[in-house]
Amino acid sequence: MSFVSNLLLASVRMAVPLLLIALGELYSERAGMVNIGLEGLAAIGSLVGFLTCFISGSTWVGILCGALVGIAVNMIYAFATVTLCANHTVYGMAINILAPALASFIYRIFFGSGSDLSQITLMKTINIPILKDIPIIGPLLFSQTPMVYLAFLLVILTGFFFTKTQAGLNYRAVGENPKAAATLGINVIRTKYLACVICGALSGIGGAYLTTCYSNTYTEGNISGRGFIALAAVIFGRWSGGGILAACLFFGFCDALQIRLQVASVGIPYQFFQMIPYVATVIALTVIGSGKSGPKAAGKPYRKEER
Amino acid sequence: MSELLRIENISKRFGSFYANKNINLTVEEGEIHTLLGENGAGKSTLMNILVGLYQPTDGKIFLKGEEVHLHSPNDAVSKGIGMVHQHFMLVDAMTVFENIILGDTNAKEIVIDREKRRAQIQELAQRYGFRIDLDKYITEISVGEQQRVEILKALYRGAQLLILDEPTAALTDIEVEGLYDVMHKLVEEGKSIIFISHKMREVMHVSDRITILRAGEAVATVKKDEVSAQELAAMMIGRDLAASSFEKVISGGSAVAELDHVSYNRNSKHYGLNDISMKIRSGEIVGIAGVDGNGQTQLAQVLTGVIAPEEGTISLGDSKILVYDPNNFILRRTAHVPEDRNLQGLVGDMSIADNLVLRRVETDKFSSLGGAFLKKGAILSYAKEMVEKYDIRSRSASQTVRSLSGGNQQKVILAREMEAEPDLLVVAHPTRGLDIGATRFIRQQMIDARDRGVGILLISADFDEVLELSDRILVLFEGQIMGEFPGENPPVDEISLAMTGR
Amino acid sequence: MDNSRKNLVNIFVPVLSILLSILIGMIIMAFLKANPVTAVKYLVIGAFGTKQNLGTTLTRATPLIFTALCACFAYRCGVFNLGGEGQFIMGSIAACFVSLKFGLTGIPAVIVALVCGTVAGGLWGAIPGVLKITRGQNEMIISIMFNYIATLLMGVVYTNWLREGSVPQTAQVPKESQLARIVPGIRVTWGFVIAIVIGLLIYYFLFWTSLGFKFRAVGLNQTASRFNGYPVRRYMLSAFIISGAVAGLGGAGELMGTQFRLINGFASGYGFDGVAMALIGQLNPIATMFVALFFAALRTGSTTMQAATGVPTSVSDIIQALVIVFTVAGMALTQLPEFSTFIGRFFGRKEAQAV
Repeated sequence: MSFVSNLLLASVRMAVPLLLIALGELYSERAGMVNIGLEGLAAIGSLVGFLTCFISGSTWVGILCGALVGIAVNMIYAFATVTLCANHTVYGMAINILAPALASFIYRIFFGSGSDLSQITLMKTINIPILKDIPIIGPLLFSQTPMVYLAFLLVILTGFFFTKTQAGLNYRAVGENPKAAATLGINVIRTKYLACVICGALSGIGGAYLTTCYSNTYTEGNISGRGFIALAAVIFGRWSGGGILAACLFFGFCDALQIRLQVASVGIPYQFFQMIPYVATVIALTVIGSGKSGPKAAGKPYRKEER
Repeated sequence: MSELLRIENISKRFGSFYANKNINLTVEEGEIHTLLGENGAGKSTLMNILVGLYQPTDGKIFLKGEEVHLHSPNDAVSKGIGMVHQHFMLVDAMTVFENIILGDTNAKEIVIDREKRRAQIQELAQRYGFRIDLDKYITEISVGEQQRVEILKALYRGAQLLILDEPTAALTDIEVEGLYDVMHKLVEEGKSIIFISHKMREVMHVSDRITILRAGEAVATVKKDEVSAQELAAMMIGRDLAASSFEKVISGGSAVAELDHVSYNRNSKHYGLNDISMKIRSGEIVGIAGVDGNGQTQLAQVLTGVIAPEEGTISLGDSKILVYDPNNFILRRTAHVPEDRNLQGLVGDMSIADNLVLRRVETDKFSSLGGAFLKKGAILSYAKEMVEKYDIRSRSASQTVRSLSGGNQQKVILAREMEAEPDLLVVAHPTRGLDIGATRFIRQQMIDARDRGVGILLISADFDEVLELSDRILVLFEGQIMGEFPGENPPVDEISLAMTGR
Repeated sequence: MDNSRKNLVNIFVPVLSILLSILIGMIIMAFLKANPVTAVKYLVIGAFGTKQNLGTTLTRATPLIFTALCACFAYRCGVFNLGGEGQFIMGSIAACFVSLKFGLTGIPAVIVALVCGTVAGGLWGAIPGVLKITRGQNEMIISIMFNYIATLLMGVVYTNWLREGSVPQTAQVPKESQLARIVPGIRVTWGFVIAIVIGLLIYYFLFWTSLGFKFRAVGLNQTASRFNGYPVRRYMLSAFIISGAVAGLGGAGELMGTQFRLINGFASGYGFDGVAMALIGQLNPIATMFVALFFAALRTGSTTMQAATGVPTSVSDIIQALVIVFTVAGMALTQLPEFSTFIGRFFGRKEAQAV
């Protein structure tokens, strides 16, 4: 029993960074921006989150600074793709190369190349009275760090925003048919920049979560493909908040499972278990096929005066 | 009547090219003012300036005597200018209701108050006699209904001046009548309409005044009652055009292609074929008349192997097709001028020369050692020959085709397809968006090919083009053939009726 | 745009980007309280100063050339293969097995290892290719997932299957099976020559053969290629396999010529670096090789720079990253209509005469 409940608890914890990053991508794609630079954004967010937390002693400062640096780096992407109309994929790759290089440079500057790891105190869990005593779901959903609650709250807000509000409707139109949106007086360029701010912030927070709420230290490459798995989660989750939550819980479960199986089994090289999340991503994408695609204008440059 | 809109000396430049040059124009309240001009005369550019999408390089705009600056679509909307674009500006993935309220700046509430806004829209729809299901997705309603959604969208935003850009292009005759009714109702209520068209018949039918645009300049503004269609045409084109007519033939040749009970995606009214049987003989042009989106695309694609029919068979010459693959059709001497030249016909970033040899690059003429070494010299000199022969206006044969004008791009495709010496030529919308010169050249090429014995299937949304070129006319409606008519003295009324499904 | 002016832009933008990136790199050095001019001097000396240094630069360039060519070929043919790293690793794993387990030595071992590495890389590339053309999958995500899987599989190899001793690493490739050096005493092996030859072959294939012509057409416009009778899906799968094979050969060459054993961190980052180099090189195989040389020089030189001036080597990573950021943005800039208007003002008169 405790194996299962521990597993589920870990699944939720592992799902949260994916969820944050994937929601960032959702906001990006809904405004027509396919951003594959998530991995890089999360990497720099993770490092800066760790560093500022290490200096200030506050995990919240870490989270905030992770968001800020994510926004800052993603503004480069925004400028190139929105203003200069650069290819989204190519520029996303550029971010994936730039941001980790920056992260490792900053790390070297501050900590030297020594191998002794600096550590920080993780964010504390907050128990929600009464609710936490519900069997199984209690500890799963109501005895977590505030970041977990925030991530779940964000899912609800996101769904509400896109389906119920005027602003959300306008926002979606930008990703579906920017020209039509423009004729209706919706500011396409501003929406796209806003999307990049949100995406940068959430990806940065997703990265910072890993250092401030999950493991208490920074190692290079700690994102280990989560940016790309989040990208898959958006597709798997069918561009809806709820779908993405389900997809992230699934991938989080795979991640939690592999760690437990590593510990539990003897004789099988642990790397095989580590492959589980990646294999699961491939299988998930393959099974759903490419039936419904996302926002129609996603990935296409928008030029204001085109002839 | 008082003046609603005045445009003074508006110019718009793209690079070194003037799309609009010193245009002056006034629109009265309660007037239907037509902008008449050929493709590329600058009508759309002018309208995009009026709705705030483009900024004029020069000139002034006055509304009710006051100068206005339309920096963004928001400015235009708030000043009561609404436009129905030729290609509808609708979001397919949203419902009619969502499309109408999209971008609504009057609404102060954050959460959409569905009840209230539905009531507003319903009231508006009733006033103008629209019957529209607000909860349907755009993809689920007809083109005519989509247009009404567009009009409703503009009215919902309080438009006083409504710009209709080629509104009849995609409509059936009955839908066009309905549109005229709506237009009259609108002007009765004191609204003004700018009606954009190049179809003489409808211009003479609905306009109060007409402004003729030619090569970016306003040539003249006339009252409808004081001018004849002939005079208008002359002003639009800038010279008198001898009515060109091609000789029609009745071919006794053998069938180059035969469709036998072919169906594809049968249940779709707009994108399917339903039990089509027809023959195309050598030395004739078979024209497909019909409103766009009644299966024309699919007909062209099954006949060139791009898609495979779900039922029925196709024969080319004497042999039945077993493998539906473009290459198989090409090997059996089928040529294709596809409907979307940039997407389907050309590789935009390759040169004219490369596009001309796209299918034949591995032949001995253009490469040696079985394709292991390209004869670039031979390719280039062949391209120069073709540029000459097909009058492709370009700086050099190694220029990318993307940088050519639409007419010259189409000539590149035509050169490639004609030089393959096909038995069957499938042509879709060959002159869409082209100027008169290129249009004439391309039509003449098709007639010449017919006279050489090529069997041609002509698909065109331009009814006049079908009438002018076809030796036989078939009408396609919702994926079905509604009837066959002779090309010589075609019964225009009967054909029009068949196009609406009767 | 004219071809000649386009070519000019294609060279001008990357070169300017490189200069700009180096400039920013120097500003960073100044902030780190080093003399930027001295630092750059040591960078150049470290990369090219002595025969040994030059040899090291060419050695480090070799694997980069392979992964860059892998990316370059794939993108030319319209498939976004981001799996160069995984394919490279699979090639090296195959070569490792051949040289340690097959009982071959000497030249036969080298040849069999290189061939097996090529095949392994090609097969690894085929998987995302098949998933793309049959299931319409996003090849980027899939090929990246296979990078991680390959890296972990390599982990199994050096911690388990072919582990030697207490340290997690494989045994060394026997001396007699290693790739020979071109000039005795300098590290460069024939692997570098193979890389150059492959690059030239790819260039020839793409621009001088009819099949290469068709591959490029598919890369530029799949729909038009299909309408014109090309077997588009087969070409796309071939592009995946060939680009994977190039990376696999590179992996095998790296193992047999430079590193000799699999170990943690082997090939780490080569995949994305390859992507960057191909993009900076404007997907031209020959230009791409020069970019790879430049990247290698930065890496080799930065070690000397660090020793002499204390500027950390990761400055060179920043410079590299900036080059890609500037190049891609710069190319996008030159394609904006506003840009041609701007340029038109300078060349206006000439243009008028030409038309």
